[in-house]
Amino acid sequence: MKMRKKFLALALSGLMVFSLAACGGGGDSGDSKDAGEVNVYMWSDYMSQKMVDKFTEETGIKVNFSYMSTSEEATAKITSGGGEQYDLVMPCDADMTGLIKGGYLEEINLENIPNLKNLGDAYKNREFDPENKYAIPYFMNYVYVIYNEKTCPVEIDEYKDLLDPKLKGQIASVTGIRNLFPVALVSLGYDPNSTNDKEIKEAYEWLQKYVANVTLFDSDSAEKLIINGGASVGLFFDGQASRAFDAAENLKVAELKDAIQLGVDEFVIPKGAKNKENAEKFLNFILDAQNMADNMQDDHLYSCPNEAAVALMPDSYKKHPAIDIPTKMKENYFLQLDIGDAAKTYDKYWTMLMSEENQ
Amino acid sequence: MSENNAMTLAPKKSFLKRNLPVVSTAGPISIWMIIFVMLPLLYILFISFMSRDVYGNIEYTFTTDNYKEMIQPLYLKVIWKSLKLAFLTTVICLVVGYPLAYYIASKPSKLAAKLLMLVMIPYWTSSLVRLFSINQLGMPNGFLNLLLLKLGIVSEPVDFLFSDGIVIMGLLTAMLPFSVLPLYSSIEKLDKSLLEASKDLGANPAKTFIKVTIPLTMPGIVGCVLLVFIPSLGMYYVPEMLGGGKVMLIGTLIKNQFLMTKNWPFGASLAILLILITLAMMWIYTRVGKLDELEVG
Repeated sequence: MKMRKKFLALALSGLMVFSLAACGGGGDSGDSKDAGEVNVYMWSDYMSQKMVDKFTEETGIKVNFSYMSTSEEATAKITSGGGEQYDLVMPCDADMTGLIKGGYLEEINLENIPNLKNLGDAYKNREFDPENKYAIPYFMNYVYVIYNEKTCPVEIDEYKDLLDPKLKGQIASVTGIRNLFPVALVSLGYDPNSTNDKEIKEAYEWLQKYVANVTLFDSDSAEKLIINGGASVGLFFDGQASRAFDAAENLKVAELKDAIQLGVDEFVIPKGAKNKENAEKFLNFILDAQNMADNMQDDHLYSCPNEAAVALMPDSYKKHPAIDIPTKMKENYFLQLDIGDAAKTYDKYWTMLMSEENQ
Repeated sequence: MSENNAMTLAPKKSFLKRNLPVVSTAGPISIWMIIFVMLPLLYILFISFMSRDVYGNIEYTFTTDNYKEMIQPLYLKVIWKSLKLAFLTTVICLVVGYPLAYYIASKPSKLAAKLLMLVMIPYWTSSLVRLFSINQLGMPNGFLNLLLLKLGIVSEPVDFLFSDGIVIMGLLTAMLPFSVLPLYSSIEKLDKSLLEASKDLGANPAKTFIKVTIPLTMPGIVGCVLLVFIPSLGMYYVPEMLGGGKVMLIGTLIKNQFLMTKNWPFGASLAILLILITLAMMWIYTRVGKLDELEVG
C-alpha cells in the first residue's frame, strides 16, 4: 500500500517535470476563447510592433511571437509537428518544395486574403506553388557584392573577379551551401541549382579559390568587417549591406553582370495549426498596402514583394543604396530551388571545402 | 540455521525500506535522465539507421549506409582534426593548469580559497559573452591592434582572428577552470610527508615529482583530461565564432547535417560516433589512470 503511494508520488512528480517542459515552446494558451490568438514563428526584429498592435486593436486577436535564428530552424519546426505550437511559420522559398511535397502545410483559403492582389505578379503563383495555396511572400533579400571604393584593390563586375589573389583575406561573406555554390555555378555558366556531379565539383574548385580570399564567413553580421575596415569586399544579403551603408562611407554596390540570388521569406500555415482563420486574417492585414508601408517605415530596410506598399514608401527607402540597386541586376536573378538528393553531394564538397587548410 | 532464515526473510520485509533511500535520492534524477537523455539518445540511435528522402525528411527504411559513409577520408579528416584540437587543448590545459593548481594548493587554505575564487570569477559570465569579447578585441580595429599600432610594435593591423590557433585559444578560455579544479583537489590531498620521505631517500626534486607527485595526483589529472577533452571535442560554437566559419570540426559537421543539408540520419550516425569516441576515451582513461584502484579526489 505504502509502496503504491510512493510510486504514485514519483509518477506524479515525473508528470510535473514533463508538463513543465511542455510549457516551454509555444505561445500561452491562456485566454484563447474571446477573440482568439495567432502564434507566429519568424525572424526577430523583422516586423513592426506598431503594425501588430494595430491588428490586435482592430480584430481583438492577440499575436504571440517566437523567434528563430536560422531559416533551417523554421523548416525543422514545421516538419516536427509545428502546427501544435504555431499558426504561422516563416521558412524560406528554397525549402518550399520539400514542405509542400512532404504534406507539412495547410492550404491557405485565398477567399480570406483579398489583399493578395497587392503583391507583384512575379511573386504570385510561383513555380513551387502554382495555385498560391501554401505560401505568402513577406520580405525578400538579394545577395550581392558591395565594396569599399578606397580600399578595394580590384574592379568587380562579375563573380570571377572575387577570385583575384589580390583580394586575399579581403572578403567578408555570407555562408551556407545554398548561398555559395550557386554563385560559383553561375560564374561557371551552369544552372545555379545544378544537380550534376561534374558541375558541382567544378563549383567546388571555384570556391576553393574563393575561400582563400575570404576572411570571415557569417550570414548574420559579416558586414561588421566592412564597417571596421577588416575587409574591403562583401558578398552580403541586402539587409547586411544596408547596415554597412548606414554605418560606413565609400561603399558601393558592384554592378554585376552575373545573375544574383533572390531569397524570399514566406509565411506558411503548418499542418494542424489551431488558429488557421486568425492566421489568414493576419496575413490579409499585413498584405494591405498601407499596413505594409507602415511596417517598413519602422526602420525595416528590406526589399518587399508588395508593390502597392512600395509605391507608398518615401524616397529614403526607395533611394537607399542597398535597396535601389540597378534594375538590370534586379531582373537578372535566380532562386534557390529544391536539389533533392544532390544535397548530399553538395554537403560532401562543402565539408571538403571547409576542412581544408584555409588560412 | 536461524541466521540463514533471517537472511532469506529479510528482503521481503524490508524491500521498501532498503529501496526507499535509492528511490528518494536517485529517483527524480533518474526519471529526468530517462526522459531527457536516454530517450533522445535512443531516438538518435534509431534514426542513425534510417535514410534521408529526396526532400530532406527521414525515411523509415533500415540502412547502414550512414555508418559506411563516415569512413570516407573526407569525414575521417574532420574527425581527426577535431581530435587533434581537443588533444592540444587538453595538453595545454594540463601544462598551464597543473602548476597553477600546485601553486594554489601550496598556499594556506584561506588564501587558496580566494585564489580559486579568482579562477572561477570569469566563468560567472556566459562563455558566449567572453567569446564575443575575444572576437571584438582581436578585430583589425580592435583594442589589441590599436595598442600594438600606438606602441609602434607593428605597422599594420595583425590578423588575430579566424584561424585554428584562435580556436584553441577559445577552447582554452572555456576549459581552463575545469582543469584547475580537479587538479587542485587532488594536489591539495597530497601527503607532503611522502615528498619529504622521497627527498630523504635521496631522490632529486624532478624524480620526486615524476615518481611520487604525478602518480599520487593521477586522479586529478585523469579528471582534468576527461573534463577538458570530451567537451572540447563536441563544442561547436567556439570554432563557429572564432574560426570565421572556416574551421570545420565534428560539431559543426553534425550541425550542418541537421540544419543545412537536412540529412538527419547521417547527422545522427556522426553523433553516435562522437559518443563512441567519448566512451572509448573514458574506457582508456579508466584503464590507464587505474581509476578503480584510486580514490578520486
